[in-house]
Amino acid sequence: MDVLVQLLLNGIMLGSMYAIISVGLTLIFGIVRVVNFAHGEFLMIGMYATYLLATKLGWHPYVSAVPVVVLLFCVGALVQRFIIQPLLNADEHIQIFATVGLSTALVNLALMIFGADLYSVSTPSARQSVSLGGYTVLSGQLVILACALALVAGLHLFMQKTPLGRAIRATAQNRNAALLMGVRVDRIYIISFGLGAACVGLASALVMPLFPVTPTIGSYFVLTAFVVVVLGGMRSMYGAFAGAMIIGIVDSLSGYYIAPDLKEVVYFAIFILILIFKPTGLFGFGRGTE
Amino acid sequence: MTSRTAAAAPVAVPKPSRLSALTHPRVYVALLLLSLLLIVPALSESAFIIHVFVTICVFAGLSTAWNIVGGYAGQLSLGHMMFYGIGGYTTALLIQHVGLSPWIGMWAGAALSAVVAVCIGYPCFRLRGPFFSLATIAFLEVIRLLAIHFHGVTGGSAGLIVPLKIGWAWMIFQDKFNYLIIAFGLLLLTLIVSWAIRNARLGYYLTAVREREDAASAAGISPTQVKLKAVVISAALTSLIGSFHAMYTTFLEPATMFSLSTSIEVAMFSLIGGLGTVAGPLLGTVLVVPIAELARGWLGASANGLHGFVYGTVLVLITLTLPGGLVGTFGARVGRWIDRLPGGQPRPEQEAPALRQIGGMPGETMLEAKNLVMRFGGLTATDDVSMVLKRGEILGIIGPNGAGKTTLFNQISGFLQPSSGSIAIVSGGKATTPATADAFARAGVGRTFQIVQPFGKLTVIENIMIGAFMRNPDVASARAVALRVSSLVGLQHVREVEARNLPIGDLKRLEVARTLATEPDILLLDEVMAGQSQTDTQTMVALIRAIRDAGVTVIAIEHNMQAIMSLSDRIIVIDSGKVIAQGDPQSVVRDRRVIEAYLGEDFANAQGL
Repeated sequence: MDVLVQLLLNGIMLGSMYAIISVGLTLIFGIVRVVNFAHGEFLMIGMYATYLLATKLGWHPYVSAVPVVVLLFCVGALVQRFIIQPLLNADEHIQIFATVGLSTALVNLALMIFGADLYSVSTPSARQSVSLGGYTVLSGQLVILACALALVAGLHLFMQKTPLGRAIRATAQNRNAALLMGVRVDRIYIISFGLGAACVGLASALVMPLFPVTPTIGSYFVLTAFVVVVLGGMRSMYGAFAGAMIIGIVDSLSGYYIAPDLKEVVYFAIFILILIFKPTGLFGFGRGTE
Repeated sequence: MTSRTAAAAPVAVPKPSRLSALTHPRVYVALLLLSLLLIVPALSESAFIIHVFVTICVFAGLSTAWNIVGGYAGQLSLGHMMFYGIGGYTTALLIQHVGLSPWIGMWAGAALSAVVAVCIGYPCFRLRGPFFSLATIAFLEVIRLLAIHFHGVTGGSAGLIVPLKIGWAWMIFQDKFNYLIIAFGLLLLTLIVSWAIRNARLGYYLTAVREREDAASAAGISPTQVKLKAVVISAALTSLIGSFHAMYTTFLEPATMFSLSTSIEVAMFSLIGGLGTVAGPLLGTVLVVPIAELARGWLGASANGLHGFVYGTVLVLITLTLPGGLVGTFGARVGRWIDRLPGGQPRPEQEAPALRQIGGMPGETMLEAKNLVMRFGGLTATDDVSMVLKRGEILGIIGPNGAGKTTLFNQISGFLQPSSGSIAIVSGGKATTPATADAFARAGVGRTFQIVQPFGKLTVIENIMIGAFMRNPDVASARAVALRVSSLVGLQHVREVEARNLPIGDLKRLEVARTLATEPDILLLDEVMAGQSQTDTQTMVALIRAIRDAGVTVIAIEHNMQAIMSLSDRIIVIDSGKVIAQGDPQSVVRDRRVIEAYLGEDFANAQGL
């Protein structure tokens, strides 16, 4: 029983990390309707940036979160402006190839600059064990959980209450109708892609104390993020959050009860089953937010 | 009486023998260029050059095989290396445990890959675009992780060394040139298969399914079936090459045998060369692989990541500047140059085969729909609609917009499953209910779409051929049928124009032509006169009459009242999902409920009805 509770707790901590990585992916897919295969590489860029700020300037990763978020917003906006935007009306396979190509280029660019070595930032403050009624978690994990909740809440308020948020929602629901109402759709897309990338920028600064960065860290996380997003119904931020928790718990339980090296098999199997049998996601949010 | 007039006796055109294809410039130029892949390394005798050419042949083969699914069928698999890995492991394990020669083992691997391909393809083909790609990545990852987990069988992450038995029987050589011969042979095999598919019915069908699945179903094509054929062939070829490559590298590990980045590279070569073309994947590989291999050779470890960076950048640039790839962009021009070489004269057109005879007695029941109810959420689009279609009649269906006419069509052509009620196609005294839209088409129910569904990138003739293939599997006779139909509907002047460039009037006629080419017993026409000029409407009315006189039974939805009243033998009026009147045109137009439905209750009262 003790083990199970600890595993569930670990699962939730892991889930909050997946959540914070996946929110941006959902945002981009939900609004721009492009599946960003390079999302993991945005995470990698953010982590290397955090690493550089920590080693060169001695900044704590949580402080670096601010410039990294800004940096990633710019990266996302540039990618949208110069790669995705010219391809918005192209065939779907061309869009896939474009983001896949971007992903390949970025991974290998990192390999050229940093090599294949692992780099980590030593942040004892984020690796302290915190005891919660006899069960332990890391302080850094609690920070991620708090930030994931705050991020979803903040985005919710932004989308519901601000004029820009309303314009984004309108664009997501019907691009042409929004265009006819005078919404500058191209600009909305650039902002949305930037926002999605900025979310993963926040994630990268928060993940840095817990995970070392390598050029392929992105593909490690992004496949899980895709599982989460599909589970959550693809376009729903709240669905993605719930999906992330489920995958976190599945990850934690199957790693213990089945085999550590098969936990990914378990959630990829869930992923395939969801895609095939319930493509609107576990909670049916997919259609609701269409 | 109801049989169609037999076509003039076909002029016997001698069928060209397979060997005569060699005199065509495109064939001999291709073979000459291909032979360079053997001649250049044979002259150089450098082991490195031979290695580069083996790599080119292997990747060109993989890319060509991938293109059958990714290009022809438009299903962007990013997990194709799973078949390569399955081939490699099967062959290596059969040598290790059973002592079976790789020449036999590779076929076992191909068979296994084909089975896996069906198991994955069948459920995944319903996924659209990026989600299909994601699913294939997930399958690749699962297989890779399983290969690591079951290390007792596969050697796990540590890898597996192929037993080194030298000689042709074991496909392992000291003279590297022998590897090149096999790699070249496999590439040639893959190219021939790819070329054959492109120029056969399957190739046209794959294009049709890729462009518009609904229109393909209406032409009698089962989308799942043709995609499965493509993936099985592609997987088997990929697996054969994987088996060979395992013999060449003599070392297998899950990370390289089931590699996502290699899967992406293979797809990338096709995109660079030209997706969905025969020569594209080879061309893309020939251009990109040597650069990467040479960079690796010259710069060594200092260039770690360089070739991947170049690949990725090239990929992004190609999507932005040349989305059709090299062949898609320049292929037509180069093709014309090559055709000027000796032997490039156009071949004579074949005569169309005789039309299928339609039997049966006029007036007998052909189609019977009983109590059709179709609900979409809270909306009941057809509410208890029953109708009977008699052989040889023209039945008009009219009703205000949103009345449920097209929904009725969708049900009696298999595109929608009614919520309740039944549909029966009666043929030769036997009533059947086909299960899918394509089965309806094959049972003789041809339909057009109100919102035209042309295959935009195909020419007018090719569009019509998609329909003609249903009863003429052979390309030459399908083309002949298509030529005949194009003249019949008045599209002969735009035969070789791509459908996306046609004006709406021509597109409407193209809808009719493609359906007619399937030689249906029952023709469902959904507003084919909308958007037609006055003269075109008259031509269309005459055409529909001629079709009926040839023995085809017609149901037409139409808003052009003048045309439909003069054409129809009988009219059914639908409003708000219900049949409100039926009978001959004269009595229908005087029916009070019909006038109410079209013009409102007040008008009906004012007319004193």
